[in-house]
Amino acid sequence: MTAVGLLERQWTERPGLLGWLTTTDHKRIGLLYFWTTLVLFGAGGTEALLMRTQLAQPNSHVVGPEAYDQLFSLHGITMIFFFIIPMTTGAFGNYLIPLMIGARDMAFPRMNALSFWIFLGSGIFLYASLALGSAPDAGWFDYVPLASRQFSPGRNIDFYCLALIFNGVSSTLAASNFIVTILKLRAPGMSLNRTPLFCFAFLAASFGLLFALPALTADAVFLYLDRRVGTHFFDVAHGGSALLWQHLFWIFGHPEVYILIVPAFGIATSIIPAFTQHRVVAFPLVAIAELLVVFIGFGVWAHHMFATGLPTVTLIFFAAASALVVIPSTIQVFAWCLTILSGTARFRTPLLFIVGFILFFVVGGLTGIMFVAIPFDQQMTDTYFVIAHFHYIIFGAAVFPIFGGMYYWFPKLTGRMYFELPGQISFWIIFAGTNLLFFPMHVVGLDGMPRRVYTYPGGLGWGTYNLIETVGGYITLAGILLLFGNLVVSYVRGERVGRDPWHGPTLEWTIPSPPPEYNFAVIPHVTSAYPNWEPLAGDLVLDEGHQQPITTAADGELAEIAQMPHESPWPVLLGLGLALVFALLVVEKFLVAGIALGLCALVLAAWHR
Amino acid sequence: MSAKPVAWWGMMMLVAAEATLFGTLIGTYFYLRFSTPHWPPGGIAKPGAVVPIVLALVLVASVFPLRLGTRAGIALALLMQAGYFAYAVHDFADRLHSFTPQTNAYGSIYYVLLGADHAHVAVGLLFDVWLLANWRTIGLRVITVYWIAVAVLTLAVTGTILSARA
Amino acid sequence: MRLERLQWFGLVAAPLTWAAQHVVGFGATQAECGVGGMEWGISNDVWQLTMLVVGGLVVVGSEVAAAVVFLRTRNVGHDDPPPDGRVHFLATAALVANVLFLSAMLLDGIASTLTSLCRGG
Repeated sequence: MTAVGLLERQWTERPGLLGWLTTTDHKRIGLLYFWTTLVLFGAGGTEALLMRTQLAQPNSHVVGPEAYDQLFSLHGITMIFFFIIPMTTGAFGNYLIPLMIGARDMAFPRMNALSFWIFLGSGIFLYASLALGSAPDAGWFDYVPLASRQFSPGRNIDFYCLALIFNGVSSTLAASNFIVTILKLRAPGMSLNRTPLFCFAFLAASFGLLFALPALTADAVFLYLDRRVGTHFFDVAHGGSALLWQHLFWIFGHPEVYILIVPAFGIATSIIPAFTQHRVVAFPLVAIAELLVVFIGFGVWAHHMFATGLPTVTLIFFAAASALVVIPSTIQVFAWCLTILSGTARFRTPLLFIVGFILFFVVGGLTGIMFVAIPFDQQMTDTYFVIAHFHYIIFGAAVFPIFGGMYYWFPKLTGRMYFELPGQISFWIIFAGTNLLFFPMHVVGLDGMPRRVYTYPGGLGWGTYNLIETVGGYITLAGILLLFGNLVVSYVRGERVGRDPWHGPTLEWTIPSPPPEYNFAVIPHVTSAYPNWEPLAGDLVLDEGHQQPITTAADGELAEIAQMPHESPWPVLLGLGLALVFALLVVEKFLVAGIALGLCALVLAAWHR
Repeated sequence: MSAKPVAWWGMMMLVAAEATLFGTLIGTYFYLRFSTPHWPPGGIAKPGAVVPIVLALVLVASVFPLRLGTRAGIALALLMQAGYFAYAVHDFADRLHSFTPQTNAYGSIYYVLLGADHAHVAVGLLFDVWLLANWRTIGLRVITVYWIAVAVLTLAVTGTILSARA
Repeated sequence: MRLERLQWFGLVAAPLTWAAQHVVGFGATQAECGVGGMEWGISNDVWQLTMLVVGGLVVVGSEVAAAVVFLRTRNVGHDDPPPDGRVHFLATAALVANVLFLSAMLLDGIASTLTSLCRGG
């Protein structure tokens, strides 16, 4: 049998549903994440449109205040934890990282599957709260004392705490997997200076997740204990501190927002060289900027607390760091613009989304800088100006590259080309819609409209702006529907393409579309940061079992050949077990939860026989 | 410096995450302390020094048999660690007679910080048992890293708890 | 290889130094302005300026290291094989990053000494 035949036989997983349940193939796991996050994106978007419909006119009664509270809370939680993070890391990251580094899978394939099942479980857990009429309703940042038992006696906040702890396990495992994969599984010859910028971006985001999530976990544990076990972490009357919640939340929360956008920077930084056929200007600076944004981003958290009455001498540290965290992002923006100007730009749909991203990001970045000035921040806290700022950043800097990336890698995943004209039209509609939706928020915010209000009185001059925003929201919806409609029709009827329709720079364009189960028949030996633009060599076929080369972290020198684990029922079983633990915790059945945790430990032991 | 196996890197990821978690808990301890005039508050006695220090040293010492690389070494380490755990849990339960997590914020952070440390030791005991049943060198190497981390974290936790004596 | 050690020092020393100054600096203000802070007799200004000077020296040293490595590898191309290619790449990155961290430390240290002590914003 030929080497390709052998590889095919060894790496192909069992067919049908059982194959999907026991999969450890990073590409299948990436697709599972993709479909799941799209459903949750739909939920988050529906929440947004319901809010916009309610706010379109003053004194409206589309939804009442309690429902509205659940809407804005779920919207934030869903979009951040259940759309952007899993879409960028879980879907794009999982599918593409091994392909870009010349590997056959992630470093820990079964743990990768576990990350997905836990993510799915945590999403179902969160939305179960909605089905039970007890969705979180104290905002995505859930401040105490509003979130304490005294003011939120129902189960809403318990769902919040436990869903985020549960979801955090998934992201922590995923982050660990990415770090080890990117550092140890790169193809021979791929030293750090030859590693794609996409990988630097995901490395940065993964370090961010690893070091930020513990703060959120601790915070949520403290809150759950305060609420259900009677501790006093946040209880001022017994020596606790309400500000402690905010500190811990934002020590997580600020790095989190960089984690949201940095993978998207990685997508942008992959699309630009492909559509300009030019190497990225200042490559080493862009690479380090990805890491610097996240690193410095750990030091700015209290800029979310400028209006809490903390001493100025404390706050000044955070104003200082916030001023400087802009610089790495600016380096990247300049590098991207110079690359586009230096090359021969083809403004196909993916590049259009990246140009849109740059424009949105610059506007959002400028309003962000304004907040560095403590007095300005204190005026604008909790107004719509803040909402305008972060939606320009999140929608512009995270969602636009995601949409661009969907178009860019569509041919690789499906072996077909998308239809270009509807693609470009979808971009323009979304671009127009989001500007209409978010720009007026700057104005009403400066005019004093507060956040998280379910309605507002007439006669304040806010009505027209809100109506425009709502219209913008529906236009955005139309554009998004066109985008997905285009991709669906293209999947069925698009023109077939081979491995490299774009003459892309990185290794995923050297293998067939869609990629075979084993990714690379011959492990490449890399000699450039743009390996598909140079002649490619390699002689490692490695067709005995599930072989994968392991290389050194800095220089990509071959260290050993490993046998990778494959197809296992343990990840999905452990995911189910953990879901059971959290379900029991939310109804305070602590002893049974402990027993369920013990069963999970047994599953873990069986996994590692 | 030879290339470390992938499993070693995986354990380092776990250590990084757990060390950060303890950093958060220790940071919380000091944050609450800086906002409280008398520490420990509410008439709670300052913690004794002898038992925590001896216990921490026992845990540190238990790392050395692991480095022998034999099943007997693991068994000895397990014995020392189990002894540590039994006494630590007894002490933990005993102290609940003086003050509880529900007494005040000091009680809350005291028991959660210490409890988290003991939980990590408990997990380590399970690792030891698993290793004795599924002997492999890579497992020993990785579990040794875990115990070194837990020993260091226990020293940090002990130092934090005892800082109340200052 | 001495170049190797200089390259890693030049890359990681500055971020770690800034992180330490930032966290300890923040903690010092919490202790100073908090009810339960311990009286060690050292004013906040002295803390902050000491950390700035010591940290600043480390970061300057780190930048010198990065510059030395950069200059010694200036004929190395970006795609060149390791270790030189990687060393030059990381030294280039460190050269820029160190300036950023020095600025951050200066801003942190000077701002916290110039601001009025525990009054709220």
